[in-house]
Amino acid sequence: MHLLKRYIIPRLIQWLVVIFVGVTVAFIVPRLSPLDPVQNTLNRMAVYGLMYPEAVESLRATLEELYGLKGTVFEQYIAFWKRLLTGDFGPSLSVFPTPVIQLILQALPWTIGLLVTSTITAWILGIVIGTLAGVYSESRFSKVLETLVMCISPIPYYIMALTLVLLFAYLIPIFPLAGGAAIGLRPSFSWTFISSVLKHGFLPAFSLVIISMGWYFLSQKALTSTLVASDFVTYARIAAVPRRTILYRYLIRNSLLPQATDLALGLGSVFGGALITEVVFSYPGIGQVLNTAIFQGDFNLMMGIIILSVVGIATGALIIDLLYPLLDPRVRYH
Amino acid sequence: MEVLRDLLRYDRRFLIGFIITVLVLLVFPLSLLSPYEPTARRVVPTNLPPSWEYPLGTNALGQDIAWNLIFAVRNTLIIGLLSALLSRMIATFNGLISGYIGGVTDRVLSTITDSLIVLPRLPILVFLSFVMRGQLSIWGIALILAFLDWAWPSKRYRSQVLSLREREFTETALFSGMSTFSVVTREHLPFLVPYIMADVISGFIWAMGMEITLSVLGLTSLSIPTIGTMIYWANYYQAILRGIWWWIGPPVVVAIATVIAFYLLSVSLSEFLDPRTRLQRIKVRPEMG
Amino acid sequence: MKSKISRVLGVVLLLLSMTSTAGLAQLPVDIPRSELLIVDQVFRYSVAENFNVWLPVGPPTPTRQSLITDTLWYIDQQTGEWINALAKSEPIYNDDYTRMVVELREGIYWSDGEPFTADDVVFTVQTLLANSGMRWSAQLNLFVSEVYKEDDYTVVFELKQPNSRFHTFFTARYDAVYIMPEHVWSNVANPMQFRFWPPVSLGQYVVRDADPAGYWELFELREDWERTSVGQVVGKPGPKYVLTIFYGPNERKVIAMAQHELDLLIDLDIEAFQALINRSETARSWYPDFPFAWPDELDVRFIGFNLDRGDFYADRDVRWALALALDMVELQTEYIGGVARVTPIPEPGTPLLSQYYHRPLESWLKEFTIMVDGEPFKPYDETVPQRIAQWARAQGYTVPDDLEALKAMFGIGWWKHAPDVAEKILLSKGFRRNAQGRWLTPDGQPWRFNIIAPPDEVDTFRLALGAADQWTAFGIEVDVEALERDPFYARNNLGDFVATSAWGAAGGGLANAVVDKWQFMQHLHSDYYRPTGTPSAAENNLRIRSDELDRLIEELGAISPDDPRALELGQEFMKLWVENMWSIPLVSFKKFITFDEYYWTNFPTSENPYGQPLYWFIGSKFVLPHLQPTGR
Repeated sequence: MHLLKRYIIPRLIQWLVVIFVGVTVAFIVPRLSPLDPVQNTLNRMAVYGLMYPEAVESLRATLEELYGLKGTVFEQYIAFWKRLLTGDFGPSLSVFPTPVIQLILQALPWTIGLLVTSTITAWILGIVIGTLAGVYSESRFSKVLETLVMCISPIPYYIMALTLVLLFAYLIPIFPLAGGAAIGLRPSFSWTFISSVLKHGFLPAFSLVIISMGWYFLSQKALTSTLVASDFVTYARIAAVPRRTILYRYLIRNSLLPQATDLALGLGSVFGGALITEVVFSYPGIGQVLNTAIFQGDFNLMMGIIILSVVGIATGALIIDLLYPLLDPRVRYH
Repeated sequence: MEVLRDLLRYDRRFLIGFIITVLVLLVFPLSLLSPYEPTARRVVPTNLPPSWEYPLGTNALGQDIAWNLIFAVRNTLIIGLLSALLSRMIATFNGLISGYIGGVTDRVLSTITDSLIVLPRLPILVFLSFVMRGQLSIWGIALILAFLDWAWPSKRYRSQVLSLREREFTETALFSGMSTFSVVTREHLPFLVPYIMADVISGFIWAMGMEITLSVLGLTSLSIPTIGTMIYWANYYQAILRGIWWWIGPPVVVAIATVIAFYLLSVSLSEFLDPRTRLQRIKVRPEMG
Repeated sequence: MKSKISRVLGVVLLLLSMTSTAGLAQLPVDIPRSELLIVDQVFRYSVAENFNVWLPVGPPTPTRQSLITDTLWYIDQQTGEWINALAKSEPIYNDDYTRMVVELREGIYWSDGEPFTADDVVFTVQTLLANSGMRWSAQLNLFVSEVYKEDDYTVVFELKQPNSRFHTFFTARYDAVYIMPEHVWSNVANPMQFRFWPPVSLGQYVVRDADPAGYWELFELREDWERTSVGQVVGKPGPKYVLTIFYGPNERKVIAMAQHELDLLIDLDIEAFQALINRSETARSWYPDFPFAWPDELDVRFIGFNLDRGDFYADRDVRWALALALDMVELQTEYIGGVARVTPIPEPGTPLLSQYYHRPLESWLKEFTIMVDGEPFKPYDETVPQRIAQWARAQGYTVPDDLEALKAMFGIGWWKHAPDVAEKILLSKGFRRNAQGRWLTPDGQPWRFNIIAPPDEVDTFRLALGAADQWTAFGIEVDVEALERDPFYARNNLGDFVATSAWGAAGGGLANAVVDKWQFMQHLHSDYYRPTGTPSAAENNLRIRSDELDRLIEELGAISPDDPRALELGQEFMKLWVENMWSIPLVSFKKFITFDEYYWTNFPTSENPYGQPLYWFIGSKFVLPHLQPTGR
């Protein structure tokens, strides 16, 4: 009970507050945009052919009503919460009246597929290689590996992606330049489709993996080398505990905890999409949708995606915070 | 000086990092020698490949790519360093207060920090520059970047402080009669300072990456040369499709060399300053997309 | 000295990039390439499987509209030819233009076998009138008091106020009121929410398949293609299948076309176009050789100033000085590659329109005089096309020697590059140069301003860069502020700019392929003027106000567009514009509409300009049937 009162409930309240603040920010931020969605629609209609000026005025009033942008900002804010609590993100304003949720759901599978796969792959690879490099830290191979990782991991993501595109889509064209699957294919469980998705997803996923793997690798190696030097491993060695047991039972298990934190946070941020990755590789995910929403002043779509992402990250962090002390007795609740 | 000599002699990583950094920093004096205004276009014939006269050729805007690159690197360095220093100053202040004072102060500060953390940073950044562009000088970009990059480090500093407080030696020191103040300054700061210094570099690397990202999306002042705007213009004039590698190549190579150099310096420096903090090796958390 | 290595590396990079084979289209199977036309879809559809094309701005229609929708009349944007499509004849007005009668074509059927009748037209108009958020709704509500059918093939529109141009709602330029199938839509409760999927077609094609991710759509020729307006007017079917694909950015489209996996694309920048023709024997644009691109899009690029800021930009003479400080030949060649027609008036110099405006006005332009510090000065320079040709020859291009041919290719002429005259004008207006030779405004401040321009509109942006460079060289600090499309439109609309490099609208002649300019001129009437900071209802973003202009507009509005006076008034308008230099028109629109003649030929070209190459305009439906397979 003490635990509940002293730690869990305040943490839950903090989670709620963080989400409330995040969602409110998500409401306010799009309204700082220099774009007015109604005027935007009118401007784009003018591109197709000029309208009678009187008609423009009357259409403006109609659209304000339809877009839910009538009334004061505060009234809109209240209406926004009412809608949100029933799970309704409202209609998109750039492709009115398609619901925001439909646009999100359309893009989400691509993003989740790409990001979950690459995050987990990077995590596992980083930990396995990092542990080995930490245990055999004096070996030449480990040193080469560390240098390599150290040279790759700080490279700005865009530069890395551009280099990969240059190398593997232009110079040695073994991977496609754009898209989520080959054009002309329908989503299905056929091998053609899946292999096409894999082929199209490889380069973006690869770029994400090598950039984030470096981080996992380095921290895992650091953790392992400290553990290797720690007392209990030394005792285990003296007690002739088999090397493999030391490796798996002691080293990996003990270092997994802090690493799990990062994994959870990484997975939590999946909903925000990978904006640059998706733009560079023309990948049809949520990041692209968000990018378009920003550039076209689609308030509702922006809010929808930001809210999803806020809830994702906040919940990821909450879960870790709640589980962490249970798993790691060294950290006490404050 | 002795430290520098030792580092240069014994740590090959430091040597490499140091040499590249010095070369990169040369852009500051060099930029003063430029015969052209940084933003001037059409000062040389367009689209020439590298030659003795134009070592890196000229671009479609009529700029000498070599001089353009020098300005670009200088501006990007300014943005990165300014943003990193600013954000780490805020973070240090916030993290230390949170960590040491604790209680309600900590809770309020932590909630603010956490609220900022849960916001997807890159989209917000894209949005902010979208809103403010036109008014975005290199100082403006640095400010926005700093504003968005203090939350993570301050959370990290706070937990560093917490974990230091939990450690045995803190209690030992307190039991043995040291004042809290001297515990902090004599026992904790030696841990924190190299940590923060290394972190400044990770902040720099992040800021540089974001500057490139924003510019490539066309969201900064495109006439100010930076590594990002150089890439933007090269893309705009189809440098890749047309095989003009001397335009797209230099900013990419310099960007990679710079971050690696800075990174090597920071790793080697933090190990040198505190061998015990191998564990705290610089944390460059990558910004996914 | 050119470095050998650099060249070798460049060539290798280029070759490798062009031979890229990976990941290109696996075209939908089972369709022989000789029956399949592949066109660039322009963008990826963010909402797939929604064909409610009557929504305010979407779902997007390019490439869809010409294949499955139809309207009453068309004007071919290339030839100016009037086409009766769903209507059998031209609109019939009463004497005071308060009633329009439409006679419909018989024998036209929807793709599901239902006949097309007056009921469909009446239902469409009534539905649009009743749902105020839908496209054309606000406009139709302005004029239509009643719509009814007289018989199955006659529709009557009763108008609230006289309008001799009411038929333009149903006369296609980019699009026009699409007719709905009454038998489908009459059961729809909420037309705004209806997805109209799969759509029932009134065009020659039906949707055969579509990508849920929005990257492509496949259309198939209707078996009863003869029972459509195109079938009746042209009498030939188009390609059996049309696949629209969005390959991504330009470089990817270039690679696709080089590999014959894309037959027709909307536009490229000149760099990408040259990369393409270096690689492909069969790809080309409008001209077989330089200047390549299709020059006849009905629009003009211009640089305009906000005339409503209460400063010296409102002074006509200052704008003239700025125009004379520009070097058009350098702008047209060094900045946009010599590919476009220059125009001194706010009207594109297409073959069709120049015979009404540019050529008849030439003698007036030559004699046109402005007063510079009390001295007369004739600013017109007819040597511009020859000087452009000189540049082109120096680049190794072959261009005609004949002056008339050059005028047709590069425009009739433009203003002199006369910085000395510009200087005199400015000095007489109280501007001064400081010790460094930079201009100071009359109140002693350094003269600097920004031009706003969107980078993705290539010519607009590069002309802005050029103008900024030239004005900077002249001594003014000018920079270009790059803006994405929507903020660019927004800033224009609010008047939030000093200078804008823009196109379209009433700032420089968004033109129709007709003599009558009223549709665009009406926006400049001072009734619709809105001060800076207030969204302009009309497209008068430059905030022009002029009594003379009002008189022209009122007179033109009162007469029929077919009245010969309409041409005279249009020419008066052009002259008035030049005198006032309300904006500085630069060049006509051009587009690198590019096609690959590997599988299909007989696209409209400069040698055979039989119709509009604008395949994403609804009117392209009358061009498609003329394409011929090569048999490969």
